[in-house]
Amino acid sequence: MPRPSRTAYPLSWRLLDAAEAVVGAMRPKRPEIVVPALFLAPAILLVAVLVWGLAGMVGDSLHVLDTATFLPAAEASLGNYAQLADRPIYATVIRRSLVAGVIVTAATLLLAFPYAYVMVRTSSSGLRRLLLIGLFLPFFIGQVVRAYGWLIILGNKGIVNAAITALGFEPLKLIYTYETILFGLVQYMLPFAVLLIAPAITAISEEMEMAAASLGANWWRGFTTVVLPLARPGLIAAGVVVFTLTLTDFAIPNILGGGTNDFAANAIYDAFFRISDAGLGAALALVLTFIGSTIVGVILAIAGAGTLGLGGRAGK
Amino acid sequence: MSMHDDEIQGASRRQVLKSGMIAAAGAALAGTPAMLIGRRAFAAEPAKPAEIIVRAWGGVWVDALDQGVSQSFTEATGIRVRHDLTEDNEIQPKIWAAVAQNRVPPIHVNWDTSTNATKSALRGVTLDLSDLSNLSQLLPVARPKGLEGWPIVNTYSYVYVLAYRTEAFPDGAPKSWNVMLEPRFKGRVALYNDGIGFHPSAQVAGGGKVSDIPGNMAPAWEFIRKLKAQQPLLGEDPDFTNWFQQGEIDVACTIISNAREAKQNGIPVAWTVPQEGAKVDTDALWVPKGLPENEAYWAKQYVNHAISKGAQQAWTEKLGLPGVQPGLTPPADLAGDPAYPTTDEDFARLISVPTPVLVEHERDWFQTFKEIMQG
Repeated sequence: MPRPSRTAYPLSWRLLDAAEAVVGAMRPKRPEIVVPALFLAPAILLVAVLVWGLAGMVGDSLHVLDTATFLPAAEASLGNYAQLADRPIYATVIRRSLVAGVIVTAATLLLAFPYAYVMVRTSSSGLRRLLLIGLFLPFFIGQVVRAYGWLIILGNKGIVNAAITALGFEPLKLIYTYETILFGLVQYMLPFAVLLIAPAITAISEEMEMAAASLGANWWRGFTTVVLPLARPGLIAAGVVVFTLTLTDFAIPNILGGGTNDFAANAIYDAFFRISDAGLGAALALVLTFIGSTIVGVILAIAGAGTLGLGGRAGK
Repeated sequence: MSMHDDEIQGASRRQVLKSGMIAAAGAALAGTPAMLIGRRAFAAEPAKPAEIIVRAWGGVWVDALDQGVSQSFTEATGIRVRHDLTEDNEIQPKIWAAVAQNRVPPIHVNWDTSTNATKSALRGVTLDLSDLSNLSQLLPVARPKGLEGWPIVNTYSYVYVLAYRTEAFPDGAPKSWNVMLEPRFKGRVALYNDGIGFHPSAQVAGGGKVSDIPGNMAPAWEFIRKLKAQQPLLGEDPDFTNWFQQGEIDVACTIISNAREAKQNGIPVAWTVPQEGAKVDTDALWVPKGLPENEAYWAKQYVNHAISKGAQQAWTEKLGLPGVQPGLTPPADLAGDPAYPTTDEDFARLISVPTPVLVEHERDWFQTFKEIMQG
């Protein structure tokens, strides 16, 4: 019987074979630890680069800008953090970003869940295809272009106001407001949330819903007592992603905010690029990272690590 | 190419040749490397790079630089000029990092605000330009303030005018910056999003004195607080033209070039210098340290060409701004315009804040402006 071609094996097998060959050549004492470490190495490297960068930013944040030389002062201090505490602008933009994060997350999940549910459960392949196109099409259009699209639609002479004035009403101020930013962010985040919720709904067997119905639960009761709890990992994951992306968004507040509704990311940009103060920018970036990480940590602590597919308490 | 363009190209070429001959003669006497003469080079002339990269602003700004300076430089030297449209604020840290890390900077020539250019000079990342042959001919405004020698060279002045939509002012130009506070313009006023160019005007409009800058800026902040209630739009250069075009605003504090561009595009926009005055400032050119020697040489020749009389005439005429060479002919539509200052009397009507003061207080003013506008 002829030996099967090597390419007949799955790629993962061949990678494993290669890794084991490397480990075999190295002859370590505990090869069962080295093989997984080899596969984890790229991810560890990426995280290490991130940690390295953060460490560099910590160093930068401890040196105040000397405006006589436009170089960071030689001595380390907490001057940049003191400035963040002293100037109300920074509390304002962080508070605004956090509030937006909560509102946008809630609104996005509310819209994304039914979208994902219908997309997964529908028996119509045409409708599913339509919903999938609606889901993926926005990814082909950049965030900046989408934000400018809203300017065209919502501007004083935009499509909406043209319709309003054609009906004899006064034009409305629809752009350059906080509400417009929230609207733009929800529209931007929706596909991300649907993509994260859909697998969770797919994992819920339809028989579970049928069993609830057969035991006397109406659709709503079955939905709230069976579907929603089982979809919780997807909802938590989507919430975390939407919240963190909103908290750190730059383009939509910049374009739709009219310069008066900056988020923390806009203030970080200003510190680095407008006033040439890298130390202040680094301090603000670290504060934002700390706040975002703490909130996500608390959410995961309450919801369980199973949300990230790590097993444990996801289904409790 | 129009006859006018021919004249500009010709003038620029002649100026490059003239500059080259003067420098070559000087070089022969001083024993330094010879300068360019047209496409020919002396033996000691550094090798020409295929191209040099000049950072520029977009829109009318890069068009003016290209037609006024870059094309004639290429014609005279054979060196292609590539314009990098990275914002000046964004290229700045890249250059600083490159110099600090002994890497080659991403551009050869930076077209910058004098405030930003001064920061780079203070940081020590700019090449000395004092050997450029055309410096001696320039008006005093070309010399950098608060710096030793010529680490940068100012290239023209510009005024932050009060631009307005003519349809909103049927009785003629507004007289005062206070017009921005009129209730009918609520939501229809625009400023730069960092308040740049507006602080001195706000200081006077708010009842303060220019001489109190920077010691007591309270009147300026009070005026800006009142303006905040008008829900102004805050943006950057291209936004103003766009907002006027879209009918979003009626009045704005912006650089005259933006208002002029809007007008030249058929938008009914005009501008004025109100009775309180308007801020006048300068832009600059500089060459970063860390370039290969031959590229640094040709980058400096580009700067030398940009401040030559022919290039200045062509470049600043297209921008609608007064250059730093004496005897330039103003554009027909700007001759006698108080926003096109050429004499000491013209400048006396405007508000000039020394660049060192701007550099020192920029961060504080920026944060205060943001606190008011973001509140």
